[in-house]
Amino acid sequence: MAINSSAAEPQQARDSGMMRSFLLRGIVLALVIAAFMRFGNVNIGAIGQGLGYALAGVTVFITFRVLGFVDLTVDGAFPIGGAVCAVLIFGGVRAEIAILAAFVAGSLTGLATALIDIVFKIEGLLASIIVITGAYTVTLHIMGGKSNVPLLGKETMISRHSKDFRNWLVEQFGDQMRRQSTNLLEIMIFGLLVIVILVILYWFLRTEVGLAIRATGKNDQMVRATGLNHHLMIIIGLMVANGLAALAGSMVVQQFGFADVSLGFGLIIRGLAAVIIGEVLLRPRTIGQMLIAAAGGMLVFDISRAWIFSALDLPTTDIQLVSALVVLAALGAPRLFDQWRSYRQRQN
Amino acid sequence: MLRLENVSVTFNAGTPNEVKALQNLSLFVEDGEFITVIGSNGAGKSTLFNVISGAVQADSGRIELDGKDISYSPEFRRSHDIGRVFQDPRLGTCPGLTIRENLSLAAIHGRNVGLRRDVKKAEEAWFFERLQHQHLGLEHRLDADVALLSGGQRQAITLVMATLTKPKLLLLDEHTAALDPNAAEQVVALTTELAEADDLCVVMITHSMQQACELGDRVIMMNRGRIEFEISGEERKNLKPADLIDRFHSLQDGTELSDAQLLS
Ligand SMILES: Nc1ncnc2c1ncn2[C@@H]1O[C@H](COP(=O)(O)OP(=O)(O)O)[C@@H](O)[C@H]1O
Ligand SMILES: [Mg+2]
Repeated sequence: MAINSSAAEPQQARDSGMMRSFLLRGIVLALVIAAFMRFGNVNIGAIGQGLGYALAGVTVFITFRVLGFVDLTVDGAFPIGGAVCAVLIFGGVRAEIAILAAFVAGSLTGLATALIDIVFKIEGLLASIIVITGAYTVTLHIMGGKSNVPLLGKETMISRHSKDFRNWLVEQFGDQMRRQSTNLLEIMIFGLLVIVILVILYWFLRTEVGLAIRATGKNDQMVRATGLNHHLMIIIGLMVANGLAALAGSMVVQQFGFADVSLGFGLIIRGLAAVIIGEVLLRPRTIGQMLIAAAGGMLVFDISRAWIFSALDLPTTDIQLVSALVVLAALGAPRLFDQWRSYRQRQN
Repeated sequence: MLRLENVSVTFNAGTPNEVKALQNLSLFVEDGEFITVIGSNGAGKSTLFNVISGAVQADSGRIELDGKDISYSPEFRRSHDIGRVFQDPRLGTCPGLTIRENLSLAAIHGRNVGLRRDVKKAEEAWFFERLQHQHLGLEHRLDADVALLSGGQRQAITLVMATLTKPKLLLLDEHTAALDPNAAEQVVALTTELAEADDLCVVMITHSMQQACELGDRVIMMNRGRIEFEISGEERKNLKPADLIDRFHSLQDGTELSDAQLLS
């Protein structure tokens, strides 16, 4: 019979096989990176920085891949999150509260893009450029008209523990660890935070709302046909995604010790690179693996960039150009490879 | 069950590309009735479905479903009472999600989405039973990605999804046209089975005169945004595809003539 399916597949076995190969790739990748950092003389600070930006990679994963929505809002949501967090911490608010406030501010930025898309029927690309443009002024206003808010001497999630941790580290491992103590602390605190947020996100994407959001990106006609408002799903999706971008902004601000209005510049491109690097290197299949790959891709991106900087001994003024080139490599290499492969196939 | 009164739809009104897709169309469908709709390409059949389901807004006229005026309610809200299956098998299901996830989404129908788990253990037996009825073996592949299924399999899943929560009305838009003959036959069998089991009200667009004569209680022929004729009762019972083709062609010649006149 034409549409009869073949015998039932051993689904369970396939799932665990997929899981194993994903884990294996992850471990190999981690070892390769460790070797790179060791012999390429890359400071472990690059890991902490990658963790700070990791959630912005997840933002791009949710908008581009899950929702199928070309959204650049991350460039605006990230500095807004940073500004809100910095101003609150500056005013003596606890860092945890400041992070939550940043998330809310980022969600509102995403809401603005979603509403422009839905109400005016302006496509996401344009809608989000409009929002980024306006967000610049909003960020300046949040920071009281200044383009920079320093957090020197204020209590951030990092600085709160840095003294105790440094003392403990030196006591345990000797004085040579003193220089790395802040970097290690960042890796621990941000690593934990990123893991917790990925777990929450994983849960969320597997709720009814999460399912509807995933379906909206694939086939919004069907979402409407099942009686759900696909516009609402776009709104929720963009709010969560850009809330995460702002959360990343609030983390990076605490890491740098200041907020700056231009903090989100070019972030969308880095986010895209992170998603693609994660996909190419880890080949994620399930939604949980994809989340990990997007966050991991950002780590790989930041470490590669740091390696290029140290290998070529470049000044920090070159950072955007190096970013652009790394992104080009990440986006371009898979395409070149595909072209080469189809060329080879035609030859045969 | 369904009542359309003087419904008109014009695309690109006021431009050289103006198309009067529906012109003062009125239609009444009784409870439990199964209607087949035929008509040439561009006759307005799909537009009729779009206006019923809310994908397209009527310029004038009134649409009533089960006694309620739904002329202005949005598409997603009408979907609570209307199941649809399209010609393109890709439209009805969501690739990248498993069969189970697709069915779970359909099961949310008529209920608010919340933060409950997306796929529920409690629904598994229900899905299993619904799929088992199809004799396609898909009940054993609940965790397979829908993108891996054939067009016929996807169309079968779409049918199950569209009827899962017992809609008041089922709209089928040439839903077997893209399938090979074997698969088409199976999907038709599944359609009649589901329609009878739940005593659904069905309107089915088809380009197959055979299907139009074999299925349902009434045939409607559409042309240029209007219902040209309908055949029901005794006449419908004795209807042969050849008769239908004759009436279809006599009409087509007419339109071609008037097209020529318009152009001259
Ligand atoms: N969204 C649309 N915009 C413009 N014209 C449309 C649209 N949908 C349908 N039409 C036109 O309306 C007419 C009726 O189309 P349709 O209802 O799809 O016909 P059928 O399904 O009977 O083949 C056609 O001339 C078609 O080109
Ligand atoms: Mg059609």
